[in-house]
Amino acid sequence: MKKHIPHIVGALAVLFLVAFPLSYRGTNYDYIMHLWITGLFYAILASSWSLLAGYAGQFSFGHMAFMAIGAYTTGLFSNYVFLSSAATHTCTEFKLGSTYLVLLDPIGVTVAKQSCLDLAQAAWPSGVVVTQPSLLWGIVLGVLVGGLFGLVIGALVLRLRSAYLALFTIGFSEILRAGISAEISVTRGQAGLEVPPLFPDGISLLGVTFSASDKLPPYYVMLFLFLVCMAVMVGLERSRFGLFIRSLREDEEAAAALGVNTVRYKILVFVITSMMAAAAGAVQAHYIGIISPNILILLQMSIVIAMAVIGGLESIVAAAVGAVIISFTIEFLRTSFTIGSVTIDMSIWRLVFFGLLLMLTLRFRRNGLIHPIFLWFSRGGVKQETVAKRMAARGDTELDKIEDLA
Amino acid sequence: MIRLEVNDIRKNFGGRQVLNGVSFKVNGPERIGLIGPNGAGKTTLTNVLDGAIKPTSGTVYLNGKRIDPLPSFKVAQAGFGRTFQVSRAFRRMTVIENLYVPALALNPTAHRRDFREQAMEVLAFLTIEHLRNEYAQALSGGQLKLLELARLLMLDPAIMVLDEPFAGVHPKLIEIILRYIHRVNEAGKAVIIISHDMDTIFSLSKRLLVLSYGDLIADDDPQVVKKDPTVIEAYLGQDEEDEPVNSQDG
Repeated sequence: MKKHIPHIVGALAVLFLVAFPLSYRGTNYDYIMHLWITGLFYAILASSWSLLAGYAGQFSFGHMAFMAIGAYTTGLFSNYVFLSSAATHTCTEFKLGSTYLVLLDPIGVTVAKQSCLDLAQAAWPSGVVVTQPSLLWGIVLGVLVGGLFGLVIGALVLRLRSAYLALFTIGFSEILRAGISAEISVTRGQAGLEVPPLFPDGISLLGVTFSASDKLPPYYVMLFLFLVCMAVMVGLERSRFGLFIRSLREDEEAAAALGVNTVRYKILVFVITSMMAAAAGAVQAHYIGIISPNILILLQMSIVIAMAVIGGLESIVAAAVGAVIISFTIEFLRTSFTIGSVTIDMSIWRLVFFGLLLMLTLRFRRNGLIHPIFLWFSRGGVKQETVAKRMAARGDTELDKIEDLA
Repeated sequence: MIRLEVNDIRKNFGGRQVLNGVSFKVNGPERIGLIGPNGAGKTTLTNVLDGAIKPTSGTVYLNGKRIDPLPSFKVAQAGFGRTFQVSRAFRRMTVIENLYVPALALNPTAHRRDFREQAMEVLAFLTIEHLRNEYAQALSGGQLKLLELARLLMLDPAIMVLDEPFAGVHPKLIEIILRYIHRVNEAGKAVIIISHDMDTIFSLSKRLLVLSYGDLIADDDPQVVKKDPTVIEAYLGQDEEDEPVNSQDG
């Protein structure tokens, strides 16, 4: 029974997450929903990073880079890709049957500039239809591009371990950040790229109409993505994949000597976790509405690492739970307070608190704060079982001796 | 029929010749000892055989298939298994999970449950069945050696190299390891044992290979090797009673 408690709690947690937006009636509804969406976003990142680092032992600092690849791919897709029933003759375009796939010229940062499509539309007769492809394609493309980069990075870091892997992935992340910042004409650099909401025209669910800015639809999209990612990761963890990536974390050479194709699994884990990070980034980009290269700064990566470490690096679920708890804690710690004449600005000091918690966890609880609770349920009886079996074996031996003497 | 052919293997590490044209053959379920002083190239030879490092030149064939250019995991799948001088168990995995790794690596469509019974049998044979759910890091040094041997049984290779299986192991566990070696050998597998424990290796082996500074200086019956002057000079030394009494100068 004890072993099943985490499963029961997990099922109840899923029910709670599904029912919460429908039952919560607080006046701060939008704010709390925003916290949940952000919490689930970080939960996907922290748990997928725990699969990469905690299970496979690949301490990559490039996870947020894959998130950004997803975000920017869908951002660029929604800003640059259109479908037209007539040729523009001014934009880059590809004929797909009776439709043209139109790619806009770089938009730059000035709003005054007219796009090639605007110019074409001015010259077109009435009746030409211009539409934007479904944003879902942008998200799917983001996931695929994230996976492709994961494949390349995974292949490049095959021979790198520990500090070298960390430095390489920091380098990759910084190059990407610098590249996005530099390509102002395409990405709008630090000015930020605007990304349309997930449902630009709103959506009707069970007879209720939600506007583009309502929190409920993006919440369920993020929750759906979170649950899919968790289901995939838990499935992988329990399969040969989970076993093999843990073996290569422990000892790559020994795993290979036992027949494990370490190259395949090392690359696969990069691809899978990169795709998940990219998916989270793509959905979050549509939810937030604007993305900038600052989503790639090392502090963001540090937050994800800290969430996974504090939750429990070697447990996908613990990392996700840790991410949600810390995401909420960071937010609630924003409130500044005054002691005598001194005002403590918690918008800054909360990160110090967070850093201290990380250091203390690493020093005293390397398994994290949540993971040991799961272990207590799942492995609490192992020690007693071992001792009991040993005693039983000794008892048998003693019995054999007595029988022999007799 | 197991057939391993090692042909003129040479290995340089930055100009240092570690293996200098080593050649030998294994025909059938032989029980072979591999000895030599520290730095003789025993572990390097094992690493070359298992594909962890590539030879500078030379070839290795296992049952007619050339294995020296293959990556380690393919060599293992081809039927070559090994243990390591210092135990390399997967410490943050349970004992039984350690056993599932080679079993599943060899059987792409199988599940853990398919090997549970076999794993339990293997653990029982090696007397560590009661530890099956413990993390390997909780095991003693000797038990870790047994765990490595158990993993090898799950890999079920045609030929296995055991690198220092008796080093730092309690005499009772050595008995278990000896029983293991006899069992796998009787089951038709070739076993090469690397050890510095001369008494055990001479009594256990039916054939002895001696490496010295990258050269294979002997390959014969242990009793013949024991008396080989080259081997005595390079590695074994002379028994005290055989040593000439040196007259002191002056």
